[in-house]
Amino acid sequence: MSEGSSKEPQKTPMVYICGECHNENEIRPRDPIRCRECGYRIMYKKRTKKLVVFDAR
Amino acid sequence: MENPSLKYITNPNFGTPPENQNELLQSLGKPHTSSFNYMVNKGLDEAIKDLNSVEFTLNERRIKFSISNYSFQKPEVSQEMVLVKNKTIYPTFCRQSANTYKGRFFVEVDWFIDDVQQQSFTKDLGEIPVMVKSELCNLHNLKPKELVEHGEHEQESGGYFIIKGNEKLVRMLLITRRNYPIAIRRPGWKQRGVLFSDSGISIRCVQTDQTATTNVLHFVTDGSAKLMFSYQKTLYYAPLCLILKCLCNYSDQYICQKLIQSCDDDTYYVDCVQNMLRSVHVSGLHTSEDCKNYLGRMFRVKFYECPEWYTDAEIADFILKKCVLIHLNDNEDKFNMLVFMTQKLFSFSQDKCKVEGTDAVMMQEILLGGHLYLQVVKEKLYSWLNVLKINCLKLAKATNFNLSQTEVLKAAKNSGGIEHALANFLATGNINSISGLGLMQDKGLAIVAENINKMRYMSHFRAVHRGAFFQEIRTTEARQLLPDAWGFICPVHTPDGAPCGLLNHLALNCIITDVPDDDKVKNIPLILTELGMKPLKYADTIDLNASYSVQLDGRIVGYISNGDVARIVQKLRLFKIKGKMVPETLEIAWVPRKKSICQYPGVYLFTGPARMMRPLMNLYANKVELVGTLEQVYMDVCITPEEAYEKVTTHMELNKCSFLSNLAQLIPMPDCNQSPRNMYQCQMGKQTMGTPCHTWDLQSETKLYRLQTPGSPLFRPVHYDNILLDDFAMGTNAIVAVISYTGYDMEDAMIINKASEERGLAHGSIYKSEFVQLDHPDSYFERDQFSKEISYLSKFIDADGLPYIGRKLKDEEPLYSYFDADKQFYIVKRFKSKEECYVHNVKLCADFGHKNPKKTVCFTYRVPRNPSVGDKFASRAGQKGICSQKWPAEDLPFTETGLVPDIVFNPHGFPSRMTIAMMIEIMAGKSAALHGLVHDATPFRFTEEDTAIDYFGRLLEKGGYNYYGTETMYSGIDGREMSVQIFFGVVYYQRLRHMVSDKWQVRSTGPVNILTRQPLKGRKRGGGVRFGEMERDALISHGASFLLQDRLFHCSDETTAFVCTSCGTILGPITTVTRFADKPQHCETKETCRLCNDDQHISRIQIPYIFKFFVTQLASCNINIKIGCRQF
Repeated sequence: MSEGSSKEPQKTPMVYICGECHNENEIRPRDPIRCRECGYRIMYKKRTKKLVVFDAR
Repeated sequence: MENPSLKYITNPNFGTPPENQNELLQSLGKPHTSSFNYMVNKGLDEAIKDLNSVEFTLNERRIKFSISNYSFQKPEVSQEMVLVKNKTIYPTFCRQSANTYKGRFFVEVDWFIDDVQQQSFTKDLGEIPVMVKSELCNLHNLKPKELVEHGEHEQESGGYFIIKGNEKLVRMLLITRRNYPIAIRRPGWKQRGVLFSDSGISIRCVQTDQTATTNVLHFVTDGSAKLMFSYQKTLYYAPLCLILKCLCNYSDQYICQKLIQSCDDDTYYVDCVQNMLRSVHVSGLHTSEDCKNYLGRMFRVKFYECPEWYTDAEIADFILKKCVLIHLNDNEDKFNMLVFMTQKLFSFSQDKCKVEGTDAVMMQEILLGGHLYLQVVKEKLYSWLNVLKINCLKLAKATNFNLSQTEVLKAAKNSGGIEHALANFLATGNINSISGLGLMQDKGLAIVAENINKMRYMSHFRAVHRGAFFQEIRTTEARQLLPDAWGFICPVHTPDGAPCGLLNHLALNCIITDVPDDDKVKNIPLILTELGMKPLKYADTIDLNASYSVQLDGRIVGYISNGDVARIVQKLRLFKIKGKMVPETLEIAWVPRKKSICQYPGVYLFTGPARMMRPLMNLYANKVELVGTLEQVYMDVCITPEEAYEKVTTHMELNKCSFLSNLAQLIPMPDCNQSPRNMYQCQMGKQTMGTPCHTWDLQSETKLYRLQTPGSPLFRPVHYDNILLDDFAMGTNAIVAVISYTGYDMEDAMIINKASEERGLAHGSIYKSEFVQLDHPDSYFERDQFSKEISYLSKFIDADGLPYIGRKLKDEEPLYSYFDADKQFYIVKRFKSKEECYVHNVKLCADFGHKNPKKTVCFTYRVPRNPSVGDKFASRAGQKGICSQKWPAEDLPFTETGLVPDIVFNPHGFPSRMTIAMMIEIMAGKSAALHGLVHDATPFRFTEEDTAIDYFGRLLEKGGYNYYGTETMYSGIDGREMSVQIFFGVVYYQRLRHMVSDKWQVRSTGPVNILTRQPLKGRKRGGGVRFGEMERDALISHGASFLLQDRLFHCSDETTAFVCTSCGTILGPITTVTRFADKPQHCETKETCRLCNDDQHISRIQIPYIFKFFVTQLASCNINIKIGCRQF
């Protein structure tokens, strides 16, 4: 399978995109869901940078 | 637009939002938003003015609460949230995060002690839902470009509420026309009291704030009349003359004269009137004062809203104001209206005029969302005032209590609000109301506006329902399509089955009137008087036998003599067309007097909201005029100029197909189809996979269907272009061969070319979304960094505990993980689905309200759905079929040019269905593809002389094909030429959302019901398909007893039981278990019957568990079952 299992460096906050101002926010798991720029409450997760390949059959 | 064209999609600017919105699409949400706007601008003020105040005594002082003012705010984040930059909330936020789109509602409460006003206070009643695109919505008046910026479609028309992320719509209901006395015969009315007849005059009275109540004037067979009025769902009856005497202080002689004027030749009626008047005196009530006191005294106990210090007369006034002809404010007007109703009733009961009935569209109007919403708000405000009162009384139980400002504020603080009640009303569609709001139903008032595709979505906004009540009754009267519905209700677009004829759709041009301009309404009586109407006060001076009474919104305004009527009506019509002095939505229904028995004559004018009207060409003025449902019945309308009769025809249709609804107008050439096929197409169009939206990443809808590569039809009605349906295309242009070829195409099955399918023909996908909310506010999503399985987990789950976007998910794979604050450890949840899918989108959601919200995430998955065997497809002519094989392209027949069909359609589908339009489409589609055109499929454009077949046939001939669209084909198997010519062309095929992957069901063993131990039913739970009684009968008749035993016994609820053969009971034997000290693993069981204390005659038998259950149940009723046993 193509999905690697490399260990990510720990405690890297994930990056999410604000639904209103499209600002990239770093949000830690315990943080409230809120854009630091505009205060909007919907955050989109970014598409993974991991290789996603499906077997073509 | 005259003809369809490809200009829209071939325009280089395709996709750039236009300057203004499309008017036809805006009209979808119009009735809903305008009724809501009325509520916001005017209705709430009027409702609050009309709201009863709450009065009670506390410590021997009279307390009174009333609401004097309100404010209803736009959806906003509260000002305390400093960090939020943009305070406006837009609908897309609520849709994505499953919130409610709502605005804050405040009321100002005035209160009095012993009629001395105290300092009034403002109370926040919570946030209540706001209709999208109404004046309170933040999208109001936005241009298409701005709408797109705020996550909406450029043509968004609004009209719905967003409740917990769902789009909810208040259903339009057909209800009785307001303020018009209707002659009704209803057998059930005989049961209403002694001597009651089945005849009555019913009037649905609607106040200016849309509060409605019904009054019925019943004919009693002893020659009297009784007035029914209702209060809090209870019906009461009062003698007509009692009410008349209460209303106005007139002498008996005057009342009698009023009642019998214009009917003095009817001796029976005159006698009846005199008797009725006499009987009031017999009861000892002589003056108006007597009558009022009597009425108040009798009803005092029932009207507990009135404080106890009200006098009897005051209570009578309250009844007359709130229950009797409430659309009129003046008692004099009420008196006159009752007199009119009495005359109509006696004329009706003697069969001098025809029954009217409530099932005809001319007697109906529409219940609108905003109006119903206003009623619910009004009622909830009143019950809130009552809660306030109860809270005050509770506080008063403390010693040394003194009702002061602080105490009232304290009571108000704990009185809650109306937020929950209104959200609940829209979420469930149920109202729990004390008064019933004058409706026949209290359930199913709100529906979800499902967005399966644009057609489905549009039809929700134009749907009108007759009411849930009629769904149960067996008679078909309410379902019939009557001639007066022409042009208002589409004859084609109604579902088949249970809601047939009850769930209808408005015709395209039918509008619902809005509240008229007050000044223009006030002009009407003046204009009429100028034109020659005799006002009411001169009624004595004219011959009423030779004149018509004129009613304006249920108020008698005067009389017009027979000779003047035609002229005055015509003049008024011209004023109406101009629309400057009188409202354009005025309905002028002149019911003429005829020699034969007819509808009760009169001139009835309506200006009110919620009526259906449609535009027609007035041939006299040569201008467009709006015509109402009652009005249309007495008009002569032609469709084309050739049909017009000189001096008879007054109006002409604007368009030949204006009687069709939105969806019916999208059927290609419906005039060439057998009628039920058009109805089927209206149903199937709504189940098509297509393009429901363009904001795929801004959706959290549970299920959305998407067709990956939709096309634009080559043969289509103009209406398709008029409503810009190319923006939401939902079908594929397929090459179709009409041939019975493979043997796999019997019974409406169809063959799809395997190569076409592999190239993406009708490829679709489903977007599924689900919300996950953690139970504890301190729980959070995270992957356990110190987990032993970290290398395994990180394959599936990202560091934040959520799946990787774009990953392919399989059943039972880890989906997300979180730290549970309750249990203090990490939990991994797995994905449960039989189908593989992709993670499309992950959203973290919160709302603006809570301080420490629970963590919520929305996952969106994409399930790819290639067409597969068993999926459903349909052409646009009600021809549906199941794909039965994906046939290899090399084995399919091919034409001389080497063309292989995408779809093979069985020719046996045509003879019985008679869908000529589909055959025309095959020819038209082929010629359109050939010449690079798009052909017009609007109905009624071709005639018998100039047929569509000839037109397209000649086009095909020009392109070098056979005139009839047939071609020589060669067998794909052996390459031999087929001797028959094959009908071959291009058809726009729709893929329906019913797919086998959602439907297949299989079970050998599986979950069982706990109580009966029989297999469960339902696909979701892994249950089985019911093998019912009739299936059982089939097996018995075949003598397949082993199969029967296997299905109904072994695979169902087989159990082992013990029976005592001596006493014949299965309840008697009990099992004793003996354990041995030396062999702890081992034990012996022994059965003894506790009824006969015997262990000799016990046998082990196999029985259905439900039998044991049944025996036990019977035992609980003291019935014993004895089983006869025999040794074999």
